[in-house]
Amino acid sequence: MLEVEHLRKVYGGHGRSVEAIRDLTFGIHAGELVCLVGPSGCGKTTLLKCISGLLEPTSGRTLLEGQPVLGPPANMAVVLQEYGRSLFPWMNVAANVDLPLREKRLPKTRRRELVENALAAVGLADAGTAYPWQLSGGMQQRVAIARALAYEPHILLMDEPFAAVDAQTRADLEDLIRRIWADFSMTILFVTHDIDEAVYLGQRVLVLSTSPTVVQEDLAIDLPADRDQLTTRSDTRFTKLRGHVYEQIQQAKTAGSARADA
Amino acid sequence: MNRLTRRLTATVALPTLLVLLWWWASARSTSFYLPPLRRILATFPEVWTGERITTDVLPSLARLGIGYLLAAVLGIGAGVMIGQYRLVRGITEPALEFFRAIPPPVLVPVLMLFFGIGDQMKVIVIAAGAVWPILLNTVEGVRAVDPVMVDTARSYHIGRWSRLRRLTLPAAGPQIFAGLRQAVSIAIILMVISEMFAATEGLGFAIIQFQRTFAIPEMWSGTILLGLLGFSLAMLFRLAEHRVLFWYHGMRAAARDQ
Amino acid sequence: MTSVARRATVGARIGFPPWAQNVTGVALLLGLFEAVPQTGLVPAAYLPPLHRVVAALAEEVARPLFWFSLYETLRGWAIGLVIAATAAIAVGILIGTTPFLRTATHSTIEFLRPIPSVALIPLAVLLFGTDLRSKLLLIVYASFWQVLIQVLYGVQDLDPVARDTARSYRFSRWGLVRHVIWPTALPYVMTGLRLASAVALVLAVTSELIIGAPGLGQQIALAQSGGATATLYAYVVVTGLVGIAINTLARWTERRALAWHPSVRGEVAP
Repeated sequence: MLEVEHLRKVYGGHGRSVEAIRDLTFGIHAGELVCLVGPSGCGKTTLLKCISGLLEPTSGRTLLEGQPVLGPPANMAVVLQEYGRSLFPWMNVAANVDLPLREKRLPKTRRRELVENALAAVGLADAGTAYPWQLSGGMQQRVAIARALAYEPHILLMDEPFAAVDAQTRADLEDLIRRIWADFSMTILFVTHDIDEAVYLGQRVLVLSTSPTVVQEDLAIDLPADRDQLTTRSDTRFTKLRGHVYEQIQQAKTAGSARADA
Repeated sequence: MNRLTRRLTATVALPTLLVLLWWWASARSTSFYLPPLRRILATFPEVWTGERITTDVLPSLARLGIGYLLAAVLGIGAGVMIGQYRLVRGITEPALEFFRAIPPPVLVPVLMLFFGIGDQMKVIVIAAGAVWPILLNTVEGVRAVDPVMVDTARSYHIGRWSRLRRLTLPAAGPQIFAGLRQAVSIAIILMVISEMFAATEGLGFAIIQFQRTFAIPEMWSGTILLGLLGFSLAMLFRLAEHRVLFWYHGMRAAARDQ
Repeated sequence: MTSVARRATVGARIGFPPWAQNVTGVALLLGLFEAVPQTGLVPAAYLPPLHRVVAALAEEVARPLFWFSLYETLRGWAIGLVIAATAAIAVGILIGTTPFLRTATHSTIEFLRPIPSVALIPLAVLLFGTDLRSKLLLIVYASFWQVLIQVLYGVQDLDPVARDTARSYRFSRWGLVRHVIWPTALPYVMTGLRLASAVALVLAVTSELIIGAPGLGQQIALAQSGGATATLYAYVVVTGLVGIAINTLARWTERRALAWHPSVRGEVAP
């Protein structure tokens, strides 16, 4: 479904140039839940912006369902970390979820159906008439997820969506993502800095190196499909995988600083 | 005393006191320029009712309204364009800085050259002065639209016109309203000035006439009327703003409570 | 980088930096000013071409009357501003720090503040004629409210923790004002002064225009009644330049005085 080929991004200007991403190549099949994890500053957000067409890469390309991504593609939805700044405060929750659908020019009844289903799926069936600023952070992020869901994208990109939320809420939202992924057979690319979250959620975990970034490892998560915050996280296999990823990232950090010193 | 009564008292206490003070202090006034308040108020029914309303007050208000509307449309329209495109902003910036620094009443003699002393001139004077705060605040508001929101809109393929209607304008709303509010006072000032400087009718003209013919209590009544006008328009504006920007006030209240 | 950042570099990327854009803008403006009247699009009687306005300006600048008018305008502006600011700061701090006064005066302030200062013109004429004092009446009245409102905001913004700390150290009221209230209110005072300085100029020129008090406004009125169109425009340009100078000075002062202070985002002044 999604192919990233030799993506490279160099930020330049005023004489200095910073190679944020050196060479990223990976693929995601339809229906997969893949997590991207890496040390801070490894260009995760840059990568996401390039894949979602908001930023032009220096070289390399992204293919979505065989078509190159030149601008925001039609079949992709993105959920960002700053939920407070991505929902429009002058519209109520239902209107926010509805907005992208209006652009798609869907008939009114279909739109209402999608909005209702999406809000129900994230557990906010009664919040339609509330305004985003009346809701808690976790609920606002749910609205953002509902908006992405209602859009019926082929792939869902999430950029550290739960980083700004408290641990309790984060656990609930993680389970929500897995539920949605199962119920709607979605393809999800989930970027995070939280190793536990990446291993808990993903079928595969892509570990990124420090900048200039490459894919350090493509790890398959062979945990059972039915996951649960309590039991899965205390599973020995989980701990092993988690430890492995942690090691990889530590290696990436030292290699990165070695490269920087060189 | 319950809360409502207390608030009511606080609101009317000092004004009532001041009015009473004015009444009492001027009651035995023999000064020509500062007549007793009683006399001033007595002139209200004869001066400001009847014919004068249609010949002076209503035309003034009409010009005010049209001029203000013109300023709003131009200011917001141009402001959006200038605010969105850096290139346009860079090129027009010096001109804007210059024109906005010219005290609006100075435009009256200039515009008189083009438009004489008729209604047209007055409306254009009002618009030409009131447009600046609206324009500049709109530019500022449009510039400051949250880039995260813009990215979100782009990634959901929200088209240019839709973005303008549903994102840019509402997001810039609070700042635009700040400009609109400043424009109200400027519009009133220019309405009066344009009529004091060159006119044959209107509120400003009437007041200046009273002053020239030394009809002092009437002059004072005109001043009071202008004050009431300024006050009522400010109140009306605040009501309108509260309704349109309810989301903004709600957001700020929510942030404060956290 | 965000979409806004991308847009911003278009100009720089094609080699057209902001300062060059500004210069182009000025050149375009001056060019239009010269060309449009010449093409007859607008009759030259209404809008004389630039070179004639410049010539008129050069003529005026050579006359002492010009400098006297400029001086008169600035004098009224400065005196009025100082009076208004002093009064507004004193009254504002007094009202702001006394809860009783704050509630009692709120409605009065909200009523008086939108009263257009021009409503006082006839009164000023009656009382003071074309004297400096009639100008000052208008300037002080209008500027006072600008500063007062800002001072009230500033005093209200006071951090309750800071105030309670000062109180627990038994600061006298004067000490409280000096060490806690004033630094908090300072950015607001600066904003108020910036807004007031623009308003003061407007009222100064307006009163000269309408009442005939000596100053730039009076010269404008004279030029208009005498049919000296180019001179009229010359004085309008001068007034604009004075306005720019005052705005720049105000912004510079605000920045210097608040270099150490987190800036307060306020309304954009007209």
